[in-house]
Amino acid sequence: MSWNTVGPDVVAGLFLGAFFALIAVGYSMVYGILRLINFAHGDFYMAAAFVSYSILGAVTLGTRINWGNVVWVGIVTMAAGGVLAVAVERLVYRPMRRAAVLSLMIAALGVSQILENGVLNIPAWGSNYLPFPVTPPTTGFDLAGVHYTWTQLGIVVIALVLIVVTYFVVNHTMLGTAMRAVAQDRAAATLMGINTDRIISLVFFIGGALAGAAAVMASLYYGQINYLMGFSIGLQAFTAAVLGGIGNVAGAAVGGLLLGILESVGTGLFGPQWALLFAFGALVLTLWLRPSGLLGERIGQRV
Amino acid sequence: MTIALSARRGGIAALVAAATWGLASAPAHAASPRAQASGTYLVGVSEPMTGAEAQAGTEIYDGELLAAQRINATGGVLGHKIVLKEEDDACDPQTSVNAANKLVSLGVKAMVGGYCSSAAQPAEPIYARAGIPNIQAAANSTTLTQGGYHNVFLIDPGGNLQAKEAGSFFTKVLKTKRLVIADDQSTYAVNVAQLTAAALKHTSVNVLPIQAVPDTTQDFTAVINTVRSDNAGAVYWTGYFAQAAEFVRQLRAAGLHIPFVTADGSVDPTFIKDAGAAAQGTYATISVLSAFLTGPAARSFDAGYLKEFHSAPGPYSAYGYDGVFALANAAKKAHSLVPARVIAALHHLKFQGLTGAVSFAPNGARVGAHFVVLQVHNGTYRLAPLQP
Repeated sequence: MSWNTVGPDVVAGLFLGAFFALIAVGYSMVYGILRLINFAHGDFYMAAAFVSYSILGAVTLGTRINWGNVVWVGIVTMAAGGVLAVAVERLVYRPMRRAAVLSLMIAALGVSQILENGVLNIPAWGSNYLPFPVTPPTTGFDLAGVHYTWTQLGIVVIALVLIVVTYFVVNHTMLGTAMRAVAQDRAAATLMGINTDRIISLVFFIGGALAGAAAVMASLYYGQINYLMGFSIGLQAFTAAVLGGIGNVAGAAVGGLLLGILESVGTGLFGPQWALLFAFGALVLTLWLRPSGLLGERIGQRV
Repeated sequence: MTIALSARRGGIAALVAAATWGLASAPAHAASPRAQASGTYLVGVSEPMTGAEAQAGTEIYDGELLAAQRINATGGVLGHKIVLKEEDDACDPQTSVNAANKLVSLGVKAMVGGYCSSAAQPAEPIYARAGIPNIQAAANSTTLTQGGYHNVFLIDPGGNLQAKEAGSFFTKVLKTKRLVIADDQSTYAVNVAQLTAAALKHTSVNVLPIQAVPDTTQDFTAVINTVRSDNAGAVYWTGYFAQAAEFVRQLRAAGLHIPFVTADGSVDPTFIKDAGAAAQGTYATISVLSAFLTGPAARSFDAGYLKEFHSAPGPYSAYGYDGVFALANAAKKAHSLVPARVIAALHHLKFQGLTGAVSFAPNGARVGAHFVVLQVHNGTYRLAPLQP
């Protein structure tokens, strides 16, 4: 066991955790409003990555990165992720609104398979690992003898900004109040004149858009995409949401960052073969001591 | 997480396999009596056709198709035309077992294929029970020949030779002082990693603890932090190409420009494309590839492959090709398609394949091929200027 790398590993964990957090927020909001563990959420992320791959590939000449293109493709991809999530909600989950939660969950697994195998069967995409059309520069800064790139820093900052904006919308706007009302009591919210279907669609849109943002940034950073890329990260984001207290935005964000840090530090201390055991051991311990998750006391306000 | 993933992949693939089974079984059963009547030699192929390793699986299958075509064009095997029956093993143990059971129940007379050792291993007893030759084109973990099965033959030489090659590359050419070896926890990668660490014992190279990275890991930053703090002079990655690309990209982005060497599982054009500029100068240990073979046989293989599949052969296409020829040559030598006779003939087979002389040790390991070190140079693989 070596303690030398704990400092850099905490920083590394923030980079990793930023992706978990972005995806976890969407997971958590959908759970909050529908009590649905939307296992297709990781595949919204995957599908969005492929959309950004195709658009960016079409507008990029050579491999020189054009940040202007990345930004507008990022925004378009967020919209695409949101639209996909809304479409899935409208076509699959809404007709099942009165069905048992278990049926909804199975339907979510079905959607996940449809998305994965759909992408697999699109000739321009397929099963192979595809190189992302642009590569970010490796220029950056040194911190305690470790080199970090500006791209890494930018990713964490953008992720945090998006989460803070989402938090603000949910907790400090009329729309957010409506979301929380629907989460608490859908029937009462309807009686108060809230269009619950529209609010649920909006929650799905926000979740899908955040997954889209994570997809663009992760593809840019890791450099390749694949039709199975959503599964593992989706499961970890779900874990992060539970760790933080599923159902609220801040909990998902904290859970995501914490899970990233636990995995990184676990890798450094015990080796990568122990990292997940370490991280998930911490999860079990947390749930044991605090079944509602770290920030779970706000369960009454879940969205 | 890894367990959950592989269980799920297996589960889903099993579902898919079950579904395709339902679709395919009726026509296949209906066709098989007719097929036998018209003199066909039904050969099973189990390969990753979906998932991360699908590219390599397809390339091997194409090599096998080309071999079958050529054999059939010159009269087939003892007057029987080779018909390949393909199943997807998804590089996954459970799916591979399903594929093997399906092929056996379809009545294949032999099996030629395989890329992932972890998928090949659990299928071994199934082919053994069926008593048919199990010719592995590219799966090459030494564990595959340790099961005591009489019917297993590896076209790709095992990890022992690769570990020896890697060992002398680090000691003699790179003169590495401290080495980090990392694998992806797959049977094949763990095997090469451990054999290499063993080969470097009592040498000038100090091998640091092996980093066993889950195959779902995309972020190597924490592993790279360990590489940096261990003051390693080189990295040897024994896993597959997709993670290799992510690893080396992040290594270079973190400002570490130490030699990055991979084992043969990472040799794939996809690695060069996905790693981008970071691929330049990286090394790989691999048994000699058709691209580096010269002579009329290799040229004819390249041309035939290009004509048929509109792309250059993949790194393991030639192994699939040699696998089908090994089977055909053994059957001809035995004057029989009876599986037991073909297995006996394979044990005494010797012919000149694309990948060198093909013959097998008593346990089925390939004898006659040798390893080289490649280097990525301007977007393609070339022989490294300095060979161990």
